Amino acid sequence: MKENKAEDLQLRFRTTRRGFLKTTAVSAMAVGAGNLLKSQPAKAFAYEPYPRDDELETVVTSCAHNCGSRHMLVAHKKGDVIVRLSTDDGRYQLNGHYGKDTEIEPQLRGCLRGRSYRQRLYSPERLLYPMMRVGARGEGKFKRVSWEEALNFVAHKMLEIKNRYGNQALLDQSYAGASYGVLHKSDQIEGLLGRFLGMFGCRTSSWSVPSYQATTTSSRWTFGTIHDGNEDDAFAYSKLIILWGWNPAYTFHGGNTFYYLRLAKQRGCKFVVVDPQYTDSAAAYDAWWIPIRPNTDAAMMAGMAHYIFTHNLQDQEFINRFTQGMDAGTMPDWARNSPNGKENFKDYILGKYDGQPKTPQWASNICGVPAEDIEKLARLYATTKPAALKASWAPGRNAYGEQYSRMAAALQAMTGNIGILGGCAEGVGKAWHAEAVAYPYDNWANIWYASIKSDRWAHIVLNYPNVTREEAGLWPRTDHLDGVVPNIKGIFWQGSNWFNQLTNINKEIAAIQKLELVVCMDSTITPSGLYADVLLPVATHFERHDVALPWYKGHYYIHRPKVIEPMGESKTDFQIFTELAYRIGEIDPQGYGQFGKTYNPKADRSYFFDNTAVDEAYLAQWWRTRVQGHQGVPISWEEFKRLGVYKFVFKEPLVAFREQIEQGKPFPTASGKIEILSTELANITDWGRTRYGSHIPSIPKWIEPWESLNSPKARQYPFHLISPHPRWRTHSIFNNCAWLRETYEQEVTINASDAEKLGIRTGDVVEIWNDRGRIVVPAYVTERCMPGVLVVHEGAWIDLDENGVDRAGNPDMLTLDRPSPAGGFAYNTVLCNLKKTDLEHRPGWDQLATARAHVFRREHRREL
Amino acid sequence: MAQEKDKGKIKAAIKRRKKEVYQPVVPDMQLGFVHNNVDCIGCRACEIACKDKNGLPPGPRFRRVQYVEGGTYPEVFAYKVNVSCNHCAEPACLPTCPTGAIWKRKDNGVVDIDSTLCIGCRRCEAACPYGAPQFIPELNIVAKCNLCIDELEAGRKPYCVMACMMRVLDVGPIDALRENRYPTKAIGPQEEPVRAVKNFANPALTNPSIVFVPHSKGRVDS
Repeated sequence: MKENKAEDLQLRFRTTRRGFLKTTAVSAMAVGAGNLLKSQPAKAFAYEPYPRDDELETVVTSCAHNCGSRHMLVAHKKGDVIVRLSTDDGRYQLNGHYGKDTEIEPQLRGCLRGRSYRQRLYSPERLLYPMMRVGARGEGKFKRVSWEEALNFVAHKMLEIKNRYGNQALLDQSYAGASYGVLHKSDQIEGLLGRFLGMFGCRTSSWSVPSYQATTTSSRWTFGTIHDGNEDDAFAYSKLIILWGWNPAYTFHGGNTFYYLRLAKQRGCKFVVVDPQYTDSAAAYDAWWIPIRPNTDAAMMAGMAHYIFTHNLQDQEFINRFTQGMDAGTMPDWARNSPNGKENFKDYILGKYDGQPKTPQWASNICGVPAEDIEKLARLYATTKPAALKASWAPGRNAYGEQYSRMAAALQAMTGNIGILGGCAEGVGKAWHAEAVAYPYDNWANIWYASIKSDRWAHIVLNYPNVTREEAGLWPRTDHLDGVVPNIKGIFWQGSNWFNQLTNINKEIAAIQKLELVVCMDSTITPSGLYADVLLPVATHFERHDVALPWYKGHYYIHRPKVIEPMGESKTDFQIFTELAYRIGEIDPQGYGQFGKTYNPKADRSYFFDNTAVDEAYLAQWWRTRVQGHQGVPISWEEFKRLGVYKFVFKEPLVAFREQIEQGKPFPTASGKIEILSTELANITDWGRTRYGSHIPSIPKWIEPWESLNSPKARQYPFHLISPHPRWRTHSIFNNCAWLRETYEQEVTINASDAEKLGIRTGDVVEIWNDRGRIVVPAYVTERCMPGVLVVHEGAWIDLDENGVDRAGNPDMLTLDRPSPAGGFAYNTVLCNLKKTDLEHRPGWDQLATARAHVFRREHRREL
Repeated sequence: MAQEKDKGKIKAAIKRRKKEVYQPVVPDMQLGFVHNNVDCIGCRACEIACKDKNGLPPGPRFRRVQYVEGGTYPEVFAYKVNVSCNHCAEPACLPTCPTGAIWKRKDNGVVDIDSTLCIGCRRCEAACPYGAPQFIPELNIVAKCNLCIDELEAGRKPYCVMACMMRVLDVGPIDALRENRYPTKAIGPQEEPVRAVKNFANPALTNPSIVFVPHSKGRVDS
């Protein structure tokens, strides 16, 4: 089949090697006949020596980061060197052939970041040896040490800290940055570090997820689960798609979602983009763009709800059957006696409780969208079936972001667009459930002695012991440690550049000086690494054996063999933790004699030097029991390894809550309904003892954020800064890849009329500041951004001058470390000011080396 | 890619080139590109795939996604024009080359540069209306898209096309593409390809082998 396809293409293009040689021969004959050459005969391929793909060894693997997808990468290697990367072309699956790319089994084509991976792998910033700090913390001076020295230092220090400060003193800041596979994993819940520190008996975990905690908490309240997502192919069936703060052209949500949206467009679907920016998604899907002031989404949604209710456009039958607290008729009896749950959503919207009907005009005054547009969108959404309101995560990364997420769920429910093909209940958007864990995930997993809101660590360290549990956002416990604020003395970063990525970096810089141990495990020397005491080199996913699972959407597994040997002295995370466990056991055999064996039951201590057989055993067992056993996949582990990818085929696209709607199965909430009125919130009496720390209304409500364009502070700081996820980095990963850096700049996007007032033109260097910090970036002046709004993409690697000004332009120098009650980071709740500057901007790479790149960059043509 | 230049060979080539009367190559079948200006999300996976395939340093880009935007807030528009080398029927670069390093293939019309003959004079770069030839300072040569001729010979499509996440970039016989009778996902069911769009040089200059699905604001025929 594969061969046939290749032949087809050869016939079509008539470019077989033979035909090519024939042409050459004819030219050579012409020379022989004494004619002058008309064109050069092909003596050499232009770049000889140049190994063609078919002369190289082909290894199927995948990308491994936290970008919203996990695409296939195909390594073409010679010896132990990856010469180039390609991606899925349809050949590597069951019954695959070159070019196979169907709607049911689409190719999993890698994005620009994945395709640039050789630059990350072989970068000068690659961490190849264990290193220990010799200068002051943050100064960036290190010496190379042996694994022996580095691990012994860490082991002794861990014991010392635990013995002196107790079992909350080590903070787990692992995250999904560097290692996302079924075996080598870094995150808070299923991660290797969490299990290691938990088993060691000293761990404070970080419970709030930077990207989407508002949405996660909201979906758990409303639907009782974070599995509120449809598979990506379901989007092709919508008649109307509202991309609320969602830019799938930049941030993927599934491997092919953006492509299915294109199919939807071709089938007549209409698109609306609600966003302060006219994004590339708005352009590609030819969308109706509704610019909105940041942090005001819940108000606009309330205005839409008001229009829908007052024009009786709601799906009342759906409301009556499936919701709790949408209106007076769906209020449970217990609610009237509950401490916090007496109000229903409809009466709130109509203004019965506060005397303020949430009319489109009321909303317009807050969100800046004309009332008639709010009405038009409300009518469009309520009358088009099926319609997908995709409430993205970004508007939730705000003060009271959870209210936006819940308000969106209320709209989705009142229009009856939940549980139907072409509708949407997202939210978190987690759809197909992968079997995600191949390493021992047992009673030891995710043990913690304190758990804090993730961006409160610096505040806790700086103010300990004068910190309340509400400030820390402690997750409640049922033992004596409940409410005990941790005395953090050490941090572990595994697969995490959190020092660069959490809010209010200047506060972190102050806090880190108070710690006694900072360990950074990474494949790259990151800004976080520069503040560490010990740097441990971690093998990338090209250098270890694993299996990739899709992200929140997509249904496939990709085999990830060891493509090349670990570079330098790199080891895998799993090797490092296993060896550390054995070393701690050596130092304290009484307490930790069994630590190594318990941590990694299939291994002995030789694992540090050869992990091949053990990793294979974990993965083969996972495939047999989980994938073949639970999921009924017919192919064997050996066959899977031979192919490279297994793509699941479903009869119809997976849609969240289809069973609930079609078969009446209860929602996994306390009431079994979609809880517009949250049973949990309604019954809370003591907010101080919850992880939220302060009052949260039990129905979705508009709450004024602590700073926005509507607040008095806007007189001093007239711009609202948002920091979306960039396309040319995965958060901070790939920031050091020049191929990607030349395609985009770390810059501030500013509306053209705002820029004109300030005399700023594209390319001018500007400084942006507020009470928290100051950054320097070039400006990109455009009509595509709402006036009053600035956009600086997150993830630039901080590069501070002697005054603490960030020359690289990391917006988290300006963000506030005050999470929303539900735990959402308030990344997008930032007021600031900007002006032209003489301060230096350092783009982080050699711009002089790019002869022509900028000529073909953006062309701003207002007159078009 | 780095290689020692054979000065004797280059001298001979220049001599030969001077005697030569330039006659355009008419290929048996001309390959060309199609790009959908509207549906392209501008992700540049094609650019990076190309750079990785050709082992390029930062700077030179064989494929370039141009971002075009216009209008006045809030009535704005944006589209992409994605171009590499157009493997023109009448390549402007070819006759400018003093060593005859640039040549056009008879079988499929691919315009290529023999880097063993390139002396880095950059005349082709100046001549090309599309910015296809890219100077590589490290090697002192000009290089450009060769339509992944090695992949074509292996019966596969170029790296950029196979990288396209939106399936809006494709390659095929240009005659069939122009008449919209070549099966491709790049052109939607209701769409018709055109030869010229705004922000792209006048095709009359070199007869480039590329068609576009234009944005309504990018049309030159309306």
